[in-house]
Amino acid sequence: MPKHPRWPIHLILIFVSALMLIPFIWVLKTSLSGENIFAYPPSIFPRNPHLFYYVDVWYAIPFFRYLVNSVIVSAVVVLANIFFNSMAGYALTRDFPAKKTMILLFLSCMMIPFQVTIIPAYLITKKLALLNSYLGMALPVCSTIICIFVFKASFEAIPKSLIDAARIDGLSEWKIVWRILLPLSKSAIATNVILAFIWSWNNFLWPLIIIRDQEMQTLPLGLSRFLTVVEDTTGALYAFCIMVLLPGLILFLLAQKEFIAGLTTGAAKG
Amino acid sequence: MKNFRKIFLRVAVVLLATGLFIPPAAHAQKKISVLTWNIPYFTDGFNKWVAEFNKKYPDIQIERLDKKGTEWSTFYQTQVVAGTAPDIIDIQGGLWLEYASKGGLVDLTPYLKKDAEYTKQFYPEILRGWVYEGKQYGVPFYISKTLLFYNKNMFKEAGIKDPPKNFQEILDYARKMTKGEKSGFMTLNFDWLYWPIFAMNGVQLLTPDLKKAAFNTPEAVKLVDTLGKATQDGVINKISWTGRWVEPNDAFAAGTVGMFHAHAPAFLWFKSKAPWVTEETVGATHLPGGWSTPNSHSILISKSCKYPDAAWDFIKIATTGEGAYLLGVGTNNLTGNIPANRRLLEYFAKTLPVAVPVLKTQLEHLDKLCGNWPVAKDAEIKEAFYPELQNALLGRKSAKDALKEAENKVNRVLQKR
Amino acid sequence: MRNRHAFSEMSPMAFLNPDFFKRNRTRQLFLIWFFLTPSLVIFTLYRIIPLFWNGVLSFQFWSPYQESQFAGFAHYEEMFFYDDVFWKVLWNTILLMASAPIGIALALLIAVLVNTPIRGRNVYRTIVFMSYPVMTVAVGIIWQWLYNEKVGLINYVLISLGILQKGIPFLGNFTLALPCVILASIWQVIGFYMIILLGGLQNIDPSLYEVAAVDGANAWNRFWKITLPLLKPLIFLCFVIGIINSFTAFDLIFVMTQGGPGHATDLLITRIYNVAFKLSKFDYAAAMTVVNFLFFLGLTLLANKLAGGEAGAVEMER
Repeated sequence: MPKHPRWPIHLILIFVSALMLIPFIWVLKTSLSGENIFAYPPSIFPRNPHLFYYVDVWYAIPFFRYLVNSVIVSAVVVLANIFFNSMAGYALTRDFPAKKTMILLFLSCMMIPFQVTIIPAYLITKKLALLNSYLGMALPVCSTIICIFVFKASFEAIPKSLIDAARIDGLSEWKIVWRILLPLSKSAIATNVILAFIWSWNNFLWPLIIIRDQEMQTLPLGLSRFLTVVEDTTGALYAFCIMVLLPGLILFLLAQKEFIAGLTTGAAKG
Repeated sequence: MKNFRKIFLRVAVVLLATGLFIPPAAHAQKKISVLTWNIPYFTDGFNKWVAEFNKKYPDIQIERLDKKGTEWSTFYQTQVVAGTAPDIIDIQGGLWLEYASKGGLVDLTPYLKKDAEYTKQFYPEILRGWVYEGKQYGVPFYISKTLLFYNKNMFKEAGIKDPPKNFQEILDYARKMTKGEKSGFMTLNFDWLYWPIFAMNGVQLLTPDLKKAAFNTPEAVKLVDTLGKATQDGVINKISWTGRWVEPNDAFAAGTVGMFHAHAPAFLWFKSKAPWVTEETVGATHLPGGWSTPNSHSILISKSCKYPDAAWDFIKIATTGEGAYLLGVGTNNLTGNIPANRRLLEYFAKTLPVAVPVLKTQLEHLDKLCGNWPVAKDAEIKEAFYPELQNALLGRKSAKDALKEAENKVNRVLQKR
Repeated sequence: MRNRHAFSEMSPMAFLNPDFFKRNRTRQLFLIWFFLTPSLVIFTLYRIIPLFWNGVLSFQFWSPYQESQFAGFAHYEEMFFYDDVFWKVLWNTILLMASAPIGIALALLIAVLVNTPIRGRNVYRTIVFMSYPVMTVAVGIIWQWLYNEKVGLINYVLISLGILQKGIPFLGNFTLALPCVILASIWQVIGFYMIILLGGLQNIDPSLYEVAAVDGANAWNRFWKITLPLLKPLIFLCFVIGIINSFTAFDLIFVMTQGGPGHATDLLITRIYNVAFKLSKFDYAAAMTVVNFLFFLGLTLLANKLAGGEAGAVEMER
């Protein structure tokens, strides 16, 4: 392939990166220096950086406890998502009588935002005796339609010949999914992990409704408890935001690195 | 075979995990839950209330909950639907009307009649604020109402000696202080807090029977027109009508607003943003005529409470004597209790003297409270009225059209089911 | 019979038995449904049942303290004929959805660029994605500052460049507020789109491009004829994500504008929430929920058709 000049690409990407980063850097900066966010003129670098706000956050609320709670719930959600979504995604690649209806059903489920389900979801969770529990917090998001479709799309991109060959070789459906499809869908798994984690980690309204016990609260709820003054925005808030955001980011970095290797093998030719 | 074993194993793991996660069955313990509004830091005083309460009711456990204002009603109403509503609730502003009008609160009138000594300790005008259809549903928890803060520096610069004595002077002084970045007057607008401006000009929101809109009068049109023009000219800061809490307070803290009509809690808030605020630089007084809108917190009992008598005793602990004093100290507020307030004022005189003039205004002119109407559809009426008013004040509609439209909408709200 | 279990134990002659396929097909169907069950259960509990709850409620007069009464179409009548706010928020929602293709196109561009073999592509990819794990509340706070009239970065830059004399109160402006919120929303989600599209791009067999290049197709043709069709299912997915993101905009709006000024940034979803929990009118909110659902369902079906049906699934024949 002819080599294109690289620098225009870099230029565009650098510009885009700057646009994406500036708000982010500003959060970081304010968390490090806590200067009044309405200081003018705005500056890129923090004046007098210090880590007091991070320490503040750690002591002001039971940060570690909330962290543990968030981790447990998110772990359950991520694992459940990978299992359930890959299974459902695979099922949707096969032909069966009610397939179109099922796809329509799944799609329509996406049109139901969480805010309109609050009360019925609470009543159902109550009936399941899962109020105030980790499983109760995790259950509504243990499967997400987007991720099912990501798996579906990924499975469909794998050449049918491969699957047919496996079937003739005598592999059962489970094995086909586990041994053939999933290893070739590393990017789909990565996407699932990252998304499921982020959604569960940042989930705010649902834990708010079903958790009555202070001990069981997750990090975003800690944020709410931390902001005692009405709508206050201080350096501590930003420190908290950074601390909440880091795990998702780290996970993303790890997952991407891990699965790049898997991706380069690519879909095998028939 | 292998498949089914795998499946079996997985199902077993899930069941096991589920077993681990299900919390142990709730004890059949008597419990009263208390839901407060955005005061999670108030723990020492609360624990003292609980200790006092448990002296009389050792077998009832108190559960403490706290939610921020933005989440409070979502949480509470979900709990109500689920049948586990918090028993004692602390509500800000007029939200209680929605629950009272639908039969969700316990009528406290008999209790207040029985405990006359306790009832006497409250300011009757403030206590009246929680009467709906002749029944008393709540008692004051901690109180606040609007007052006029003014920037003494800006007054001096514009050559003004004393705070305004009537509406015209408000406008005139404001005009004098308006220059460039600076504006003369600003008000908060949520929860009807701006209503004193209308009340002082004789505008009524509703007819006395609360069944129809009564604000579409020529005087009101003139008033809105005047206010609108003043806003266009920057005399009244636009943030008055577009901001909520942070922007108006920040603007006053920035020292660019001459007069700020807000309720007492604003003082400590903007003071924390503005090191220049002292008794010499910021004054606190009443709006001309003494008009103000209360924005107090009340404490009430949910209808689903299993032990209303015990709940009433808890409320008494929290709102009189030492209990009320602890609340005031712990939240930097005044309560609805007369003796407790005397102690609190002494306390604040020692620990927070700069706040004393502000706090004093909270207890004066209690006969000029306005902006709180005991209508069930208070929130809907606000929604029907304010956007139109906002349109007129920001120059998007003429005052005449806006008020007419608002009248139609408000009447529709009042008429429909 | 033993034949049902061990595939490998069967003799090739088994294929000749017609009963074999029937049993197998049943087994396959059973397995397919079994695979679908966990997800189905979760959706039934937490989406479908709530939708029906809302549906039933929308035809009643109900409050948490009182018995319900039949209302017929009263709520719908109120909504469509008397409620200006409903139409306003519907329009706002349409505008928000109309901006989704723009976000997706931008993300595709970035994905294509990041996919080229340049140095540091991983860095770019990470940077673009970084906005997504940030809590929406934080995103709202950040952009609220960016748009601030007096001290916001955007006004600062515009004034420094001489484009403006005075700062514009973006979020207080009746016309600008919604586009500003939409921009913040796109900023948050563009990394997400990019990741998905990037995954799709990387799954495309490079040999396809080589063959096409040998056949004389230029870069533009290669993109249009190979890349785009193969990405169709994922583009459709991105659109659906755009819909879900419009629901996430709920947090953005609550932090940035609370729906103001005067419902200018109120969406159907925020309106439903306010009507339900601030005005305590669950029955009316339920009716709006039904309308919201039907609206987005229609939108998705439309997008599905445009993507070629079947959620844009592509059959790879090799």
